[in-house]
Amino acid sequence: MPKNITIYTTNTCSYCPMVKQYLRSKGLPYEEINLEKHPEMQAEVFEKSGALTVPVTIVTKQDDTQDVVIGYNLSRLAPAVA
Amino acid sequence: MEETQAATSRGSESLPHDLVIVGAGPAALSAAIYTCREDIDTLLFEKGAIGGLAAVTDWVDNYPGFEKGISGLELSEQMRKQAERFGAHIELGEVQKIEDQGKLKKLATTEGDIFAKAALIATGSEYKQIGVPGEKEYYARGVHYCATCDGAFYRDKKLVVVGGGNSAVQEGVFLTKFASHIDMLVRSKLRASDVLIKELEKHKDKITVHLGVTTDEIAGDPPAGGGKVTKVIGTDTTSGKKVEFPTDGVFVFVGLKPNSDMVKGTVIELDERGFIKTNEHLMTKMPGVFVAGDVRSGATLQIASASGEGATAALMIREYLEMQERGPLPQAVVGHKYAWHFSLAKRSGKSVITPAIPALAHLPAFFTSLSGYG
Repeated sequence: MPKNITIYTTNTCSYCPMVKQYLRSKGLPYEEINLEKHPEMQAEVFEKSGALTVPVTIVTKQDDTQDVVIGYNLSRLAPAVA
Repeated sequence: MEETQAATSRGSESLPHDLVIVGAGPAALSAAIYTCREDIDTLLFEKGAIGGLAAVTDWVDNYPGFEKGISGLELSEQMRKQAERFGAHIELGEVQKIEDQGKLKKLATTEGDIFAKAALIATGSEYKQIGVPGEKEYYARGVHYCATCDGAFYRDKKLVVVGGGNSAVQEGVFLTKFASHIDMLVRSKLRASDVLIKELEKHKDKITVHLGVTTDEIAGDPPAGGGKVTKVIGTDTTSGKKVEFPTDGVFVFVGLKPNSDMVKGTVIELDERGFIKTNEHLMTKMPGVFVAGDVRSGATLQIASASGEGATAALMIREYLEMQERGPLPQAVVGHKYAWHFSLAKRSGKSVITPAIPALAHLPAFFTSLSGYG
């Protein structure tokens, strides 16, 4: 189980609820950061993901390594949170 | 013991699903509502977003039943919940190939092989790329295909929207919530509905439409260094002169590309644009494999028509499954107005007295034509 999961979202993002729903279905807790409420964090997310898009999910593993999943991409998200 | 359980688990060769629906957009969910209500064991397989392109559409104003319109995401959620209420089961994963094994269809998926008596391909479409220099290099760093996802990053910034159809106009109007100004580049003329064009005119203070302007290149700071888009270079088709549009980002809506890769290399035919061909009963050349929605050749690419096609496909699939169970109807019943009752009675195992009324010539020979490819 990951140590920590953070999802970066916006108000109108359609794929963001799907990522959250997927994590809930797996019983995984997550922290959500809305980039419209926290525009100061946009540059940080862009730096981590290399993409100006949401959702961005950052999965921190037990050994503190991180997986960055861009979009609603189950083929990447599922193994990242496994 | 484990092997025995595996061999008899639902979806295995020995215990196939009645129906596997590939996709979970409006056509797929509509079909599932119908088939599940008919007690047809139905599994949906979705690789991306439940609701498909509808789920990422900001606002849907032309789907019947919602006087004030509804957000695409909310509409998709309602469809999903409705299908699940009747027992539809949605699994996440990708179907990569479909194979005809006679009475069964084998679907190779990222989660393993699954077997079904019939399959419905409702994989929809995705937004096409323009195919110009810079488009791939700046993808998600200035080039976007989803306004509801990425529009918020462009608050008080300049944008270019490429395209002149319904999606381009609708999403362009949506982006005025964020952008300070939008240049809309339209290769020929606007092809959006009158309602949307009127909506566009209401936003002329923020959107400038450039008709007859091609999009030739998306340029900016070096992409390798994390650089962003700074301009779009196009051609004014009237004067032949190059034109430049300074911008912070580009949103592309230039039509749809069908998600039909899974049938390539099979007997299933595609049209010249890659959409899947069917007969009038929505069945492909592979018996038992049906198609509905935006991936079908001839589809009108509307949420309402996709839902309608899903319902139609469900009824055709029910007929197909019944025909597989009972074999062809006796010739005396084919095309008869009571053929339907005969079919239902056979399915439920009741004894039947075939009405001794001659077949009515004006009724379509539906049952015999079902197996024929149009």
